[in-house]
Amino acid sequence: MELFLQQVLTGLATGAVYGLVALAIVLIYRSTDVINFAQGQMAMFTTFFAWMLLDGSFLGRNIHPLHFWIAFVLTLAFGIILGAVLERVILRPVEGRPILTIVIVTLGLFSVFSGLATWSWGGIPKAFPPPPEIKVTGISFFGDGALDIGPTVISYHDLTIMVVAVGIMLVLYAFFQYTPIGLAMRATAQNPVAARLMGIRVGNMLTLGWALSAAVGAVGGMMIAPLVLLQPPMMLGVLLYAFAAAVLGGMDSPPGAVVGGLILGVVENLVGTYTTEEYLHVDWFGPEMKLTAALVVIVLVLMIRPTGLFGRKALRRV
Amino acid sequence: MLRTTARQRRLLAFVLLAFFLLYWIPFSNAFPGWVPVQFGSYRIFQATTIAMWAIVALGLNILTGYNGQISLGHGAFVALGGYTSAILIFDHNWPFWATIPIAGLLTGAIGFLVGLPALRLTGPYLAIATLALALATPQILQKYEGLTHGSQGINIDSPTPPGALDNILNDTQYLYFFALLAAFIMTIIAWNIVRSRMGRAFVAIRDSEIAAQAMGISVPRFKTMAFAISAFFAGICGGVYVQVIGFVSPRSFDVLQSINYLTTIVVGGLASILGSILGAAVFVLVPEVNSLLEGLHLPAADQAPDVLYGASLILVMIFMPYGFAGFIRRVGRLQPPLVMQSLSDFFGQVGLRVRTIRPNGGGGGGASSGKKRDGSS
Repeated sequence: MELFLQQVLTGLATGAVYGLVALAIVLIYRSTDVINFAQGQMAMFTTFFAWMLLDGSFLGRNIHPLHFWIAFVLTLAFGIILGAVLERVILRPVEGRPILTIVIVTLGLFSVFSGLATWSWGGIPKAFPPPPEIKVTGISFFGDGALDIGPTVISYHDLTIMVVAVGIMLVLYAFFQYTPIGLAMRATAQNPVAARLMGIRVGNMLTLGWALSAAVGAVGGMMIAPLVLLQPPMMLGVLLYAFAAAVLGGMDSPPGAVVGGLILGVVENLVGTYTTEEYLHVDWFGPEMKLTAALVVIVLVLMIRPTGLFGRKALRRV
Repeated sequence: MLRTTARQRRLLAFVLLAFFLLYWIPFSNAFPGWVPVQFGSYRIFQATTIAMWAIVALGLNILTGYNGQISLGHGAFVALGGYTSAILIFDHNWPFWATIPIAGLLTGAIGFLVGLPALRLTGPYLAIATLALALATPQILQKYEGLTHGSQGINIDSPTPPGALDNILNDTQYLYFFALLAAFIMTIIAWNIVRSRMGRAFVAIRDSEIAAQAMGISVPRFKTMAFAISAFFAGICGGVYVQVIGFVSPRSFDVLQSINYLTTIVVGGLASILGSILGAAVFVLVPEVNSLLEGLHLPAADQAPDVLYGASLILVMIFMPYGFAGFIRRVGRLQPPLVMQSLSDFFGQVGLRVRTIRPNGGGGGGASSGKKRDGSS
């Protein structure tokens, strides 16, 4: 039982990472109807920006190393600008083109960011610090160490990721559901022409969608980097899981993205634990196939709910 | 200006193309001085790769371009075809030529089965479900060692020129003709499929499922059929791949490859036979640009290829909305020199159709009006 609980907890921690990136994917999909394959590489790129601020060598010039949270805020700003500029300069010329065309453009961005990052910072993995400890009335947040929950243990950093993922999810949900801008963004994604006729600045909404998504991705990158070491391909594995998580939860649902991520993390971890020879005495399955098992779960869910757990079916008038 | 009819121009293009494929590429080395550009054995191998890649691109284009279903999992089908062929040759001593149709048919059958659950999925959901297929395949191949020989893969001997051909062709040239023949046959098949009743049904379903249904087209039947046909092409490609490379392992078919197939057909031109082939050529020849760059000795040139590749993908999509095939069509419509006009007429004949694509089944009004760019005069 202890093992089970511990594995579930570890799975939740991994799942929160998937959920964070899935949130960024859902954000762009929801506001612009595009699957962004460059999401992971954009997050990696912004995380390198944060690393430069923290490390004290900004583009080859020596600067005073910044405090983590100052660097964090600056990186968020950088992410917002990056997303907005990408949308205006790269995505705007292909706006309204077939979706596959836009998907290929994001694949192009994927390559550009991979290349630029290797070019600027080299391929050697770099350690990225986790957020430093903050003490609020005697209770410490972030920092090193781990928290005992009953018989199980979870590190503060894992806990931080979970809290951040759920926090961003709630904010986004409220944003889309209860603010006029959120409503305008949803309208833009569903029907740009009708939205424009209603007086919505469609172009601005698309820019905002990319900016927000890049910012969420930047947070994700900074949370994940301490776990996997900062290097150009650090987001590749996470990105594929994040896609799966987003689809599992429903491409247009921020809560779905996080829940999908958590489910994926837990399933993957439990399958990995309980299919070893110790527990399962068969030839045809083993822990090395945990990814396959997780994917089978997703496909089964999609068979029953073709638009994911929380996704809404798109209705069309004929 | 020389006055020619479209028919004459087509004939000229056909002769030029046949000369290029059948003589210039494979034999330019043997007869130095006869042709201006020499193709060494590495170049011949590249041409072979283009032919292989074109086969899977044709199949994927039938599914995605003509039928509007996105697949990010075609690497899995290629792997299945490759392993079928390799196992039959290695463990059961089949002659290589007999294994390739089997590889295609078996993969087609599996494609049909995959097409059944895919019926319920559209857009990103279908894309990720098929991506899951591509992700899981290497793990499965590695796990079932009894059948697949696990992670060390299977080595087979590439076919060598039989009998009398041995004096004329070396191994590289023989494999080139072999892949070219396969690609030629598959192009003819694809061409016939897309111009048949079935091909028109595919397009009708892509443009509007509801309208297609109203016209009496069985949507599930044709959608699964498109999957089966597409997988059949991928299986054939896998079979040819094994003969040419002589080796398969779980690592031969990673996810990136499946994604690259999709890029190939979009860059080449969706819903276009010529586009599939051009896309394959572009993809195989991209590394050439890199080696050109390395020759320039720019700073950090070893990182530049990624940036350059990404940037050119973006530029192609911005400036050639219908891919290379659409671009050639447009160039051919200007006042072109004879050769260009010939090629344009010729490919107009072999079924180049560039239409607007709406893989998600399209939005509301005007979705299917599209730009129908019809064949030649």
